[in-house]
Amino acid sequence: MGVSQLGSILLFLMLLAGAARAQDPLPPAPVIKPGTSQEKVQADISTRQIAIESNFTGIEILIFGSVDFSDARMPSSGTYDVIAVVRGPNDSIVVRKKTRVAGVWVNGPGKTYTDVPGFYAVLSSRPIRAIASDDTLRELGIGLSELDLGRDTAGSPQEQSFESAMIRLMEERNLYTEHDSGVVFIGRSLFRATVALPVNVPTGRYLVEVYLFRDGYLASKTKGSLEVNKAGIEATIYNLAFSKPFLYGLLGIAIAVFAGLMGWFAFRRD
Amino acid sequence: MFQIYLPIAEISVNLLVMLSLGAAVGFLSGMFGVGGGFLLTPFLMLSGIPPAIAVATGANQIVGTSVSGTLAQWRRGNVDLHMGAILIAGGVAGALVGVLLLKYLRGVGQAGLIISLTYVVFLGTIGALMLWESVNVMRRQRAGKTVSARKSGQHNWIHGLPFKMRFPRSRLYISAIPPLAIGVLVGLLAAFLGVGGGFIMVPAMIYILRMPTNVVVGTSIFQIIFVTAVVTLLQATLNHTLDILLAFLLIIGGVIGGQFGVRAGQKLRGEQLRALLALMVLGVAVRILIDLVARPADLYSIIPATGG
Repeated sequence: MGVSQLGSILLFLMLLAGAARAQDPLPPAPVIKPGTSQEKVQADISTRQIAIESNFTGIEILIFGSVDFSDARMPSSGTYDVIAVVRGPNDSIVVRKKTRVAGVWVNGPGKTYTDVPGFYAVLSSRPIRAIASDDTLRELGIGLSELDLGRDTAGSPQEQSFESAMIRLMEERNLYTEHDSGVVFIGRSLFRATVALPVNVPTGRYLVEVYLFRDGYLASKTKGSLEVNKAGIEATIYNLAFSKPFLYGLLGIAIAVFAGLMGWFAFRRD
Repeated sequence: MFQIYLPIAEISVNLLVMLSLGAAVGFLSGMFGVGGGFLLTPFLMLSGIPPAIAVATGANQIVGTSVSGTLAQWRRGNVDLHMGAILIAGGVAGALVGVLLLKYLRGVGQAGLIISLTYVVFLGTIGALMLWESVNVMRRQRAGKTVSARKSGQHNWIHGLPFKMRFPRSRLYISAIPPLAIGVLVGLLAAFLGVGGGFIMVPAMIYILRMPTNVVVGTSIFQIIFVTAVVTLLQATLNHTLDILLAFLLIIGGVIGGQFGVRAGQKLRGEQLRALLALMVLGVAVRILIDLVARPADLYSIIPATGG
C-alpha cells in the first residue's frame, strides 16, 4: 500500500469523524458549565457477568468509582453529586386495563410499548431533582419520568395513566427503581452504589452510566456494561426449549413416562 | 433455602413447596381415580406461575401420573383398546385446536380470562352434578333401597348414528361418532385447561356411551396418556410454555403421592369419595369465580412480550 493511498484513507476517516461530530444531537455546551475545571469520574462494576443458575434468587451488584481531581484547578470548591443509571435490554411490554363486563373483570384493549428497558435503576447521592435541573435530566434521559416510552409523553390523560401504570407495575416488580441515597460517598472522591437485580431480571446486555455533577452541571460521565445470562442447566433447558422445541417436548414426555414407570415399579404390590 | 429458579417460568420457587404440591395433588388423584390436573393447574396459577405455563406444565405432569395409573388398570384387563384408539384420535384433533386457540388468546391478552371462565363453567357443572348424584345415592341407601348404576341393554339416541363399530372389550356395537366427539372435547380441555379430562370423560362414557363401569376408568386414563403427551408436545412447539424443571418436580411428588392416595381411597366408600371430590371441585370453581368477579387490587397489568 502506497503512502498516498494511506493518506487518502486517513483523510477519509477524518472527514467521516468530522461528519459524525457535526450530526451529534447533544451539544455539550448547555450541560457542562463553561470555563470551569474538568474533574473526571471513573467507575467500574463488581460483576460484569451475571449467571442465572438454578439457585438464582436475585443478585446485588456494586458500582464503585472515584472522582479524579488531578486536572482540576480549584479542587476544594463546589458540591459534587453522582448519579448512576443501570439500563437493561429493551423489550416490548403490553399494558392492559381491566374493565367490568357482565360482572366479570376483563382485560380491555392493551397498549404496547415496543421499546422500553426491561430494567431501569437510577441511583443518586441526593434526590435527582436536587442535583440537576429538569431540563438537564431530560436531556440526559435520567429518571423514571424521563424514560423514553417511544411516544409523546404529553399525550392524553388516558395515555398518561397507562404510562404511569406501567412504571408503577415495573416498580412493584423491582425492575424499575429510583434510589435517592443509592450512591454513597466515602470521603471526598470515592463513592459506591449497590443495585439489586431481582430474580425476574431480563437477560441480556445492561448499560451502566455514571454521571458526575458539580453545582448542578454535568462535569464528567463514564460508561460500562454488564451481561446477564442464563447458565448451567437453566441455559441448557431454555436454549433447548426455544431452539429445538419439538425435541424439548419429547424430552418432557420421556421424563414423565419414565417417572411414571419408576413409580409403578417401586410401589406395585401385585 | 431450597429456592429453585425455573428456566421457562423465569421465577424462583420453593423446591419443597412444588414437591408437596405435586404429592398432594397426586394423593388426591390416586384417592379419587382422577388425573388431578383440575386441581394442579389452578394451584400453580395461584402460586404465581403464569397461566399458559401452568397449563402446559400441568399436562406434562399428567402424562407421568397416568402412566402408572394405566399400568395398574392394564394388568387387570380394564383397558378397551378399540375405544381408546377412537378417543385418542378425537383427542389429538381437539388438542391441536385447543393449543392454537390458546396461542391466539395469549396474543390478545385474554388467555387468563378464558381459562378461568372455562374452569368455572366445567368444574361448577361437574361438581354440582356429582354432588347431587352422590347425595341421592347416600339418601337412598339410608332408606334401604338398592341402587343399580347401569341398566344394560337399554337403547338411546346413540344407536341411531351411522359408522357403527364393534367394541368387544366393552361389549358394545355403537357409532364411532360419539366417542370421537367426546375425544375432541377432552383434547380441547386438555390443551386449554391443563387437565386430563377424566372428570368429563368418565361420566360421558358411563351415561352416553354406556360402557361397563369396570373398563371406564382404565380406558379413560389410557387415553389421557396420549392426549396429554400430544398437548405437551404442541405447547412446547407452538407456545414455548412448557417448563420441564417444574414438571419434573411435580411428577416426582405426584407419583409418590398417587400411590398413597390409592391406598387411602380403598378405605372410603364410592359415594362418599364422589361427594368429597364434588365438594373439592366446587371449591376450586368458587375460588376461581371469586377472582373473576372481585374487584382486582390493581386494574392494570403488564405482560412482557417475551414472557408467559
